[in-house]
Amino acid sequence: MNKIYLNNGLPVILKENKDTPRISVCLYLKIEEPEKKAGQYSLLNRLFLQGTNSRTSEELAQELDENAIECYSEMKCDYIRFKLLCLNEDIEKGLEILSDIVQHSTLAEIEKEKVKLNGEINAELDSPKAKAMDAFYKNFYENHFYGNTYTKVLESLDSITKEEIKTLYENLLNNSSKVISIAGDCDEEKIKKLLNKYFEGLKNNNKSEQKISEPELKENKVIKIEKEDASQAQIIQGWKFPTIYSEEYPAILLLNTILGSSGLSSRLFVELRDKKGLAYVVRSTYETFNKAACFSVYIATEPKNIKTSLEGFKIELDKIKNIPVSEEELENAKNNLIGKREFFTETNLQQASLTGYHEDKGLGYNFEKELIEKIKKVTIKEIQEIADKYIKEPTVLTILAPKNYLEIE
Amino acid sequence: MQNIIKKEIKYPYLSRPVIVYERECGHKIVLAQKEGGLVNVSTWVKTGSINETDSNNGISHFLEHLMFKGTNKYPAGYFDKTLEAKGAIVNAATWKDYTYYYVTLPKGENCKNLNLAIELHADMMLDPILPENELGHPFDINNPENVKEKRERHVVIEEIRMREDQPWTKVYNAVNNAMYTKHPYKRDVIGFASTIASIPRDTIMDYYKTHYTPNNMTTIITGEFDNDEILKKVIKEFDFKGRKNFQNPSFGIDMPAQETKYIENKAQINTGFVIIGYLGPLACNIKENIALEMANIILGDGQSSRLYQNLIEKSDDTVFNIVGSDYYSFKDGSNFFVQANFNPEKKDKALELLKKEIENLIDRNISENEFNKAKKRLKAEFAESAETVSDISENIGYYMTVCNNLELVEEYSEILENYKVEDLKEYIKKYLPMNHAVVSVLMPEG
Repeated sequence: MNKIYLNNGLPVILKENKDTPRISVCLYLKIEEPEKKAGQYSLLNRLFLQGTNSRTSEELAQELDENAIECYSEMKCDYIRFKLLCLNEDIEKGLEILSDIVQHSTLAEIEKEKVKLNGEINAELDSPKAKAMDAFYKNFYENHFYGNTYTKVLESLDSITKEEIKTLYENLLNNSSKVISIAGDCDEEKIKKLLNKYFEGLKNNNKSEQKISEPELKENKVIKIEKEDASQAQIIQGWKFPTIYSEEYPAILLLNTILGSSGLSSRLFVELRDKKGLAYVVRSTYETFNKAACFSVYIATEPKNIKTSLEGFKIELDKIKNIPVSEEELENAKNNLIGKREFFTETNLQQASLTGYHEDKGLGYNFEKELIEKIKKVTIKEIQEIADKYIKEPTVLTILAPKNYLEIE
Repeated sequence: MQNIIKKEIKYPYLSRPVIVYERECGHKIVLAQKEGGLVNVSTWVKTGSINETDSNNGISHFLEHLMFKGTNKYPAGYFDKTLEAKGAIVNAATWKDYTYYYVTLPKGENCKNLNLAIELHADMMLDPILPENELGHPFDINNPENVKEKRERHVVIEEIRMREDQPWTKVYNAVNNAMYTKHPYKRDVIGFASTIASIPRDTIMDYYKTHYTPNNMTTIITGEFDNDEILKKVIKEFDFKGRKNFQNPSFGIDMPAQETKYIENKAQINTGFVIIGYLGPLACNIKENIALEMANIILGDGQSSRLYQNLIEKSDDTVFNIVGSDYYSFKDGSNFFVQANFNPEKKDKALELLKKEIENLIDRNISENEFNKAKKRLKAEFAESAETVSDISENIGYYMTVCNNLELVEEYSEILENYKVEDLKEYIKKYLPMNHAVVSVLMPEG
């Protein structure tokens, strides 16, 4: 793996994987300014595939599909990420289209995209889990860009104008920090030539200013959502945690592994599912943005089990705070986490995505390697300290269930 | 070593041929070489809802859960804990034609972890004890108060509840049930809570003994390893001790609807959901399957598809939120689905528009661009399915179990290369006329 620079200064992380049939390219545009209305960045992100100066949205879709090229973008609050995936033989075509989408989108179809986005959100919110998650994050990151969930977007979507989107777009193109990451069977000289050809006009501003503030969570919140025909209650509880930039990050990943994200052998899975039969899905999740992170536990269970489930959570959370994990459990968690990170970076797309992610965050493209070494060094004491330090009030609890099951303290 | 039939299969985008071994007892072993540090170990069993009846519906899936509950050698949890502590992803899945169990993990120094995974996986596949205390005692779903301890029965019942809350699952179950007259595929793989609550442990053990036989099982290892060593290891660990074989019954393709069937259900939702389903060809009929895979790409897969372009991008009236199609191959006949989420006030218009698009697929010419796109996409799918050890194993498992023959992989590439647009048109006409359609709709209450 190495880092090269294009003639215009744009950094490119290159990982050569010989004899792989599909090559992947990711382009990260860093978002440094919060949106003024919920949904602005989502809308901009959608408009990237809706027509450029030289291609209509239909022509774009056809050209991509006819060449079996996957090319799309994703908005994740701190960045917009373009992903390109194609057979090796089609890389030039793919890069040409990607460059067109990034630099020459017309944003003309904004009104149509608003209608489409509105419809897709309404369809999604018919899922009780999506509805509960929406309420959870909206309240967890209340009054902050990170908390602009589906329902917030629905409130403001109508009022978003083309001018606003255009300003965001130009700002991203001209003033944001950018990085390209590539994984696949690619010759360095050849790919560099192609990138210089198609991305010459893309400006990288690595001194851009971060204007997104740190979200605050000041008090406990309990959100109850009534859904009369729900077969299961949806329960999510979360706490504010340090981010990927923290020295504690490796230990947090291990805490999450031990408690509820290691598959069939994590504590929540064994205690609440295997031993108590409360759920099919029970887990913990750690999700980090640049300015804040959330650690949460989730269960979907028969509504009459709400109290037992909350007690079950409490027992497991108290346990990890009060009793040191054993040497063996920590060692197992380390191996599990390291193996799983290998599993989730098996394809070229996954590799390009991860190296670009770390580089975009300013952590360096070798961060993964350094992280693995740090994970190996985490101690029993650190796990306990982190649990004790951060799993405490204030906390946000969201419960979705039929009304009469919500009448609990 | 016992008599073993060995066949080499050229697998697209893999540098070395995949080798299929068939042992005298009927057990198949497939070894696929893929460079890298990760290996995948899996066993596919030829049973799923295809072997179920009204009285035991859900037993294949319940058994899948219970296979993780310990053997004579190791207690419940040992398998998960030991392998996850080596960095493994461990799981299983049950579908209409098969149940499969897999482990993906870093192979370790000298393939140490791979060997351990084969040992534990074989032990789990051949010696499950289905302990009563892990199952939980049978109970009456209408009198759950008598249950003192909730165990795996409740976990599966929670899985059923979870699916009850998913609108797409609801509308799918209704269409799936109505598409068949008598084939066991009509049943939902997960079954009913009442059955899962009450089915006795011994009935499940009998089911295991009947269906988990050498001729019904294919073990697949994908990764970078010494073929001879791993073959020996798999044979050693998979000692069936003379276990009897089971011949699966064959039902053939069920009769498709002769007149369009319409079903409507209600739920506490705000948007409308619809799935239109058709019965398709046998999975082993590659030529006809390719036609429906192409029809799927042209009609409803991706943003350039007719459904997306005509009903969302170019529509001036907002009828649809989501629209697309899907295709699934099964041993005794495949399923072609058109699905959409729509504005419930415009239900009639939505159904009319979908119908028109399906009819157009038969009547309106398929353009050269559409045909070439479909062909290229199907080729690229092979590249995609050769990217990870898990995807390679999964594809091999599908061919071995559902099509009964991995050689069809080679055949597929040849047939695709020589495909004609006339073939495509012929099979679309055969399988997708509107009178064979089953329409399932889910609407908001009130």
